[in-house]
Amino acid sequence: MSAELIPDLQVEHLSKRYQGAAGEVAVLTDVNLTLRRGDALAIMGPSGSGKSTLLYILGTLDTPTGGSVKVEGRDPFGLPAETLAAFRNRCIGFVFQDHCLLPQCTVLENVLIPTLAADAADPNAEPRARELLRRVGLAERIAHFPSELSGGERQRVSICRALINQPRLLLADEPTGNLDRTTAHTIGTLLLEVCRELETVLITVTHSPELAARFPRRVELVEGRLENR
Amino acid sequence: MSPGAYLRRTLVHHWRTNLAVLLGVAAGTAVLTGALLVGDSVRGSLRQMTLDRLGQVDHVLSGPRFVREQLAADIEALPRFQERFNTLAPAIILSATVQKTAPGGEAVGGAGARAGGVQLYGLTETGWGLIDPSQPAPTGDQLTLNDRLARQLGVAVGDQVTVQIELPSDIPRDTLLGKKDGNFVEWQAQVGTILPAASGPGRFGLVPNQQLPLNAFAALAPLQEQLGLAAREPSRRDPTRREARVNALLVSEKAAPRSPDIPEAGTDLNRLLGQALQPADLNLRVVSQPKQGYLAVESERMILDRQAVQAVERAARETEAELSPVLVYIANRLRRAPAQADAPEEPGEKLSRYSVVAGVEPRLFNPDQPAPFGPYVLAENPGGNPLQQPPAGQPEGRGVLINDWLAQDLQVQPGDQLELTWHKVGSHGELPEEVATFVVRGILKLDGTQAADRGLVPEVPGITNVQSFEEWDAPFPMKKVTPRDDDYWKKYRATPKVFLPLTFAQELWRNRYGELTSLRVAPKAGSLAEFVPRFTDRFRLELKPAEQGLAFRSVKEEGLQAAAGTTDFGGLFLGFSLFLILSAAILIGLLFRLGIDRRAKETGLLLATGLGPRQVRRLLLWEGGVVTALGVLLGLLLAVAYARLMVHGLKTWWVGAIGTQFLDLHIRPLSPVLGGLISAAVGLLSIVWGLRGLLRIAPRRLLSGISTPVESAAGKRARGQGARRWALGTALLAGLLTAATVLRLVPNREAFSGFNWPTILFFLVGLLTLAAGLCALGAWLDGDRGAAVRGHGARGIARLGVRNASRNRTRSLLSTALIATATFLIVAIAAGHRNPAVEIPDRNSGNGGFTLVAESSVPVLRDLNSAGGRSQLGLDDAEAQAILEPVRQIVPFRVNPGENASCLNIYKTSQPTILGAPPEMLERGGFRFADTGAAEPWKLLAQVEPDGSIPVLGDLNTLQYSLHIGLGATLPIRGEDGTEHSLKVVGMFDSSVFQGVLVMHQDRFQHLFPSRVGGQYFLVDLAGTPPTTQQVDQVSRLLESRLPGFDAERVADRLTSFLAVQNTYLSTFQALGGLGLLLGTVGLATVMLRNVLERRGELALLKAVGFRQRGLVWMVLVETALLLGWGLVCGTVAALLAMGPHLLSRGADVPWLSVAGLLVGVFAVGLVAAGFAARAAVRTPTLATLRSE
Repeated sequence: MSAELIPDLQVEHLSKRYQGAAGEVAVLTDVNLTLRRGDALAIMGPSGSGKSTLLYILGTLDTPTGGSVKVEGRDPFGLPAETLAAFRNRCIGFVFQDHCLLPQCTVLENVLIPTLAADAADPNAEPRARELLRRVGLAERIAHFPSELSGGERQRVSICRALINQPRLLLADEPTGNLDRTTAHTIGTLLLEVCRELETVLITVTHSPELAARFPRRVELVEGRLENR
Repeated sequence: MSPGAYLRRTLVHHWRTNLAVLLGVAAGTAVLTGALLVGDSVRGSLRQMTLDRLGQVDHVLSGPRFVREQLAADIEALPRFQERFNTLAPAIILSATVQKTAPGGEAVGGAGARAGGVQLYGLTETGWGLIDPSQPAPTGDQLTLNDRLARQLGVAVGDQVTVQIELPSDIPRDTLLGKKDGNFVEWQAQVGTILPAASGPGRFGLVPNQQLPLNAFAALAPLQEQLGLAAREPSRRDPTRREARVNALLVSEKAAPRSPDIPEAGTDLNRLLGQALQPADLNLRVVSQPKQGYLAVESERMILDRQAVQAVERAARETEAELSPVLVYIANRLRRAPAQADAPEEPGEKLSRYSVVAGVEPRLFNPDQPAPFGPYVLAENPGGNPLQQPPAGQPEGRGVLINDWLAQDLQVQPGDQLELTWHKVGSHGELPEEVATFVVRGILKLDGTQAADRGLVPEVPGITNVQSFEEWDAPFPMKKVTPRDDDYWKKYRATPKVFLPLTFAQELWRNRYGELTSLRVAPKAGSLAEFVPRFTDRFRLELKPAEQGLAFRSVKEEGLQAAAGTTDFGGLFLGFSLFLILSAAILIGLLFRLGIDRRAKETGLLLATGLGPRQVRRLLLWEGGVVTALGVLLGLLLAVAYARLMVHGLKTWWVGAIGTQFLDLHIRPLSPVLGGLISAAVGLLSIVWGLRGLLRIAPRRLLSGISTPVESAAGKRARGQGARRWALGTALLAGLLTAATVLRLVPNREAFSGFNWPTILFFLVGLLTLAAGLCALGAWLDGDRGAAVRGHGARGIARLGVRNASRNRTRSLLSTALIATATFLIVAIAAGHRNPAVEIPDRNSGNGGFTLVAESSVPVLRDLNSAGGRSQLGLDDAEAQAILEPVRQIVPFRVNPGENASCLNIYKTSQPTILGAPPEMLERGGFRFADTGAAEPWKLLAQVEPDGSIPVLGDLNTLQYSLHIGLGATLPIRGEDGTEHSLKVVGMFDSSVFQGVLVMHQDRFQHLFPSRVGGQYFLVDLAGTPPTTQQVDQVSRLLESRLPGFDAERVADRLTSFLAVQNTYLSTFQALGGLGLLLGTVGLATVMLRNVLERRGELALLKAVGFRQRGLVWMVLVETALLLGWGLVCGTVAALLAMGPHLLSRGADVPWLSVAGLLVGVFAVGLVAAGFAARAAVRTPTLATLRSE
């Protein structure tokens, strides 16, 4: 199979079970998913359905109890912790609902946080960060601290941070959950545009039907399985 | 963005948390480095004190032997001396008792008006200049006292004092001609000057001791006059010229760079001493007997010691001379032997009293014995040597020759039995008579023959140089002499009447000082006139002053070495600050972890963005490292302040611990470096410990703000069960170890590095009990929480508070551990207090059953227990008898003064004071022993060690903390003759009155220190349990007033002064423990604040559902009280268990009230702090908090 034919994300029979006080709890039972560059997927589902769990497993922040996840044909869960971290740093970008900006760092510094993990300084990182911030309309705010930004601005910074290392996979956990409708719309647009421009696989977990509706592909997590909508 | 930039941002942003950690590190650094600086300060101050104390005196020759004052000038005149040394000053250094006297000469009574153990210095102007040229030198009959002595006596300038000083005696007091009584002088002097405490002479002393001595200074010449040591010109009555004498030489050295090529100054000085030494300096004289044709080497001490005899023998060999040894003795009575030995004298019986008998080599009586030691002429010459070949028909027995005067006097013939009676000298100076019978083998012609040689008897002032028996200044009671005796004395003086073989004489009259009274030396060829100077020069060279106890000591160098200190104060403070440092370390870890917990999301984000756990850990460690470094820097500054405070404390509040106010802050550059590095390591380790497990938590969990790992109910249950098992196991072990200590199954001996087993057990039991308490808490926190929180009102809320303690188990455990550790330290230290005053005389205690301990500057030879001895000491009148009625026993010990090795002296000691215990003490026994290998430890003093070492007993504190040796260890010590002996510790007293000294058998003592005669240290056993205060005071006053130089105090008071040091240390470290507790409380308050802040939302929710503000504060207080109370109880129980053996002993004096007050105070402060935190949290607007959550 040529490199171009290898899916950028391939999930097969993924399952996740927890040991609860009352016995085993199955959150994900049989998740299958295949995505290529530029694909954008919105995952929906009721609270507690396992959306975030799936997202964190895909982002290698959690481990599956069964099945496999392959990013660019590689199973990251077989990697040692430090290599896994480097893999995550290089290949995966996260956008969280509450943006998780470091209050002590400026906008530019927050975007550059993932570059701290590199063994050697990347001279292109800062121009890239500036370009990303310009792209999301925050060129004038690069020296500001998170506390000086609005919610939408914070989320845009968080998107820039997720994209700084040009990841293959951009994962967004309720990216508009804390935003008003207008700002949510802007952020949705931004995510989809960036995904298209950078040819990144975008997976977004959301409760918002408006945001989901703008995604070319939508699935719903029901009883541990993905169902197309 | 670089990691550096991130670090800067993070440090600044989280400045509050980092500041808290920084302050924790600073506190730890301050305590740790401060402890090292205290050590530096004590060492540096001791060094400075040594330099101040000795002024310009670098080397000293001092001891019991009195040398010619001229010796100083003779040494000073040598070129080498002038090259290397500045000045040499003759001096007298003696121990004295000083008493305040009224103008009429009456002693002023009352406590404190008398001071024993005063160092009396007789100094020339030059000598005074060496000590402190800025102060006026004493003159005439005026004494200069130091401030401490003046205060103790309550005297001012112009007041009269009486100084009681032992009179130096040439002839040992425990020999026949030695003076047993009246051997002291009372000098009425006026206080001329009182030296301020800080002055050099005020602190002058040859032995290293930081405590202010009791010093009195006099001009040398008047003191010599008082002591009979002034120069004396020959008179008609006493034709002997005597030179002025001193017993010390003070030397100041020229400052010069040290070089390995140049011998040590002390070695150089001792060589110069050898060059300038004259026989007279060793009380030896070379008497030329030109008429007889020989010279005699005699001693002013009457008996020639072994070293002198060997020197004469060597000199004689070198000068090719012939020797004839002699031992003479005084026979009280000579008579024809009665039918029954020692039968009472018959009226009119022919007797000869106070005759000299001479032991000589029998060969001298060979008919062909050449001059000058012969020939002796027999009145009837049967041929041959009658002593070697008894004439036929004479009875068996030990033979003697008598002169014809005696033969005529007693009407005895060859073959008759002669009875000889003489005084034996008892151990208490008593003079029982001994009798022996000899066979007269021959009669020697006296007039004009060798038998009339007066040179056989050394000159004894007051005896050999007086005209008649009436003028004899005999130290024994004399009976009436016959006119014939007087006639003989007038004509022949001390010429021997009886000659016997030297071996017989030595068998009867040798003593521990020697076995010859003179050695006669004659040249084998040449004239005596030419021989005398030749021999004398050689003899001088053969004398080894060091063997006679005459040697210069480099006192300044020794003092500076001793300043290294017997106790490493740095280590001591560090040891006792350990719990404080531990508290600081726990606090650092706790605070850092609290900060990290707050930033759980940040850590999660770093992990989510692809930073590896190691990278995140490195970033956090860098952050912690910078905070630690800054904390260490701040801590080093605080350390100086802390050390200054401790030094101030040691000079003021805790002055009892070191007994000096001359303590200043000294800083060695190494200490801050060392302290900083150790503190940084402790800080970083605490931070590493604080970070443990953090990066194993799933990033997702961290991103949710949760910094604790997922715990399953089963895991918690298993952990709880494990903790329960640990709690039970450690508690059981602690109990067993306590029981073993109480039942004395644990040996009280050194385990390692100066730590003895009970100390180790103390720490073990403490740690195990603490561990048991904390494990129990852990088990409880992990316990089954299935049951719902029930109830209502305050009780219900309290239950919720208790449940809350288990939310963050680690935090709860850590803060409780912090409190428990500090509490343990405080309670354990408080429990260590002792009060010996409550200990009644008990044979198996530290007082050995004795009530009084006394020291005397004038040795007491007489038996204080017998009627005879008391009578000779003037203690036989009705009043004295009545007062001494309750005295069961007074045990006298001989004393060789040395360095004070008790805890009262913080200098390093190597030559401690030695006591010689009399046989009656060995018989009596007593005292509590910390460790010994025998049921009757005192008896061990008499045993012969296979390795030739001398068994000694010493106090545990002295041996372990001052001399750093334990049971079975040996200690080298120099005897009076300079030879080294090995002392072996065979028993260790437990907190006894013998602190600072070593005790050996009196016989061994006499062998090592022959010149130390008579008791100078006494223990008094009084009847009654306990004897009344009035009885004790009366006995004490009587002995002090009747016995010169006697100074008595209660054993309990002496023990109190020893324990004051221990108790002061305990107070010092209690203060440090208090600081630890303060840190613990701060830690707990911080934890509670953090807990409350974390639960703001919860509290807001409870408010929203109708909880009142007061109820919420109550809930937080219950949780705090639970942890605080658990810590306090756990620490207290651990301390009481660890100190159990001590608490069960008599004399434990625990300040329960103050300790309880302190613990209650800590409890209250902790609750108040938590209350404030809770109040602040619950006052936050409910809605805003709920929304933000």
